[in-house]
Amino acid sequence: MIIETENLSKTYQNKDAVKAINLSVDQGQIYGFLGPNGAGKSTTIKMLTGLVFPTSGKGQVLGRPLGDVKARVKLGYLPELFRFQEWMTGEDLLNFHASLFRLKRSAERNKSVLKRVDLLGQEKYKVGGYSKGMQQRIGLACALLPDPDLLFLDEPTSALDPIGRKDVRDIILGLQKEGTTVFLNSHLLSEVETVCDHITIINKGVIVKSGSMQELLMEKVTLNIICSPIPEEIYRTIKERFDHTLAPQQDDGKIFITLKSKDEIPEIASLLTTNDIKLHELTPHHETLESVFLKVVGEEETR
Amino acid sequence: MSAIAFATLKEAVRKKTFIVMGIVTVLYLVLWAILLYYFQNKGFGGNDQQFKALASVMVTQMGLQFSSMLMCLLTIILGAGAIASELETGMIHAIISRPLDRTEYVLGKFLGLAILTVCYATVFYAVLFLIGGAFSLDTITTLSFMQIFEGWVLYLLVPLSVLCLTLYGSVSLRVVPNGLLMIFIYILGNIGGMVEMIGNYINSTSIISSGIFLSLISPFHTLYAAAERVLLPSTGIAGEMMRGMGGLTGTGKPASAAMYIYIAIYSVGFIVLAIRKFRKIDIN
Repeated sequence: MIIETENLSKTYQNKDAVKAINLSVDQGQIYGFLGPNGAGKSTTIKMLTGLVFPTSGKGQVLGRPLGDVKARVKLGYLPELFRFQEWMTGEDLLNFHASLFRLKRSAERNKSVLKRVDLLGQEKYKVGGYSKGMQQRIGLACALLPDPDLLFLDEPTSALDPIGRKDVRDIILGLQKEGTTVFLNSHLLSEVETVCDHITIINKGVIVKSGSMQELLMEKVTLNIICSPIPEEIYRTIKERFDHTLAPQQDDGKIFITLKSKDEIPEIASLLTTNDIKLHELTPHHETLESVFLKVVGEEETR
Repeated sequence: MSAIAFATLKEAVRKKTFIVMGIVTVLYLVLWAILLYYFQNKGFGGNDQQFKALASVMVTQMGLQFSSMLMCLLTIILGAGAIASELETGMIHAIISRPLDRTEYVLGKFLGLAILTVCYATVFYAVLFLIGGAFSLDTITTLSFMQIFEGWVLYLLVPLSVLCLTLYGSVSLRVVPNGLLMIFIYILGNIGGMVEMIGNYINSTSIISSGIFLSLISPFHTLYAAAERVLLPSTGIAGEMMRGMGGLTGTGKPASAAMYIYIAIYSVGFIVLAIRKFRKIDIN
């Protein structure tokens, strides 16, 4: 495991910021870490990167205990609000961070990361004069300097335009191909849905949902069906076998069935057609990450 | 550590505060040169000659003291935010998350500012003495190399010990409260010297103890007074009168060896405390 935590908790002035967090991140995963504001995402990332000390629990990052300086040799981190020495040029900043990573100065390495974040040619200018998007890119370039095994990205695209966001998505996917593990915290759910292969949702300091993207989004499938009138007997069968909350068929022939898994789709289709019901349309709708997120966080809020 | 020290040094030099203090320093040196010009060329005839020895000490003392105050003020201004401002802005997140031990970070900050302070103070001290020498100020022209060297070391130790305390404050407080507190503590040391001197005059043990107590909280003045004693040794009645008059220096008796050991422990102690504290704080 690249990251493994066991009951990781952080308390501030008797208030639990994060409570008993258990994470397991495999090598090469793009791990999405989601939650509403104040849910404990940043606190968790800060514990994993050694900025904040856990109140209790333990964990490992890159095979070393939390807070171990040596683990950070191959760890890149782009903080949510990347601040920097404005008087430095982009090149100065890269050289400064390279020295913090205990790397020798290398124009080739600088060129490579600048190219990756599409800032090549801008390195001679002071970073104080960079646009917000450029600042985020140079921050990402700094995080990529050690050719990291693990990269923490805290809201990496918040200041980027759509093209910039796509670029960052491409960078993340490119890194995954190279075997880098990416731990991504973002509010842009559509973006997370595009790149992540594992999602953990945290709310009020507690993990409320965790699983592979496939598991989460394929948990339930809604079928939009338009067909000839369904006899009462078949309607009852569908209700009993597939969806207890099934609403009656509408006058225009529409009926919406919520299935537990997509494997039930052929059964439904077969049930309808073998009973001489004319099937005009059958469209499966999977859940989106946004709907899963809102449902999970919403359920928690109403508790 | 060297990366942090180098970046701290470069950043401090680029700060507007440093530039402003540089301008103030130049203005002060120009004013001191003008003062010395009139002092030496006005002529001390008749009874005035008796006053000249005293006036020479006064002028030299003023030159040294104000320069030391400027140095300490600069050190406080640059040191107050050295760590606190990076904590406040969040700049530190991208630094401490690198493979950098927190001890290295604090020591790097100290080293960067200490190099700057030493260089600045040395130049200031040298120019001060060159101007004094150029105007044949007898308190300066009569100094031996060893006196100048010893005085320089003690002169440097004043802002360096201020830096140690200020860095601890920078780990513990926000920028502005830290700066204000450090200026207050620095002034407290001067008051302590005066209180001790008054106690000596009226022979009051309790007042002397109060002065010593203040000097224990803020021992910077004791170091400055030691530098002054080296550079302005008891030049007969003039020196004693000056010290008796006190002014801001208000020196009573020379500090004991125990006091110097205390100052060393005080300075190193605050750096150790800064490191210990910084190693434990959560960086939010």
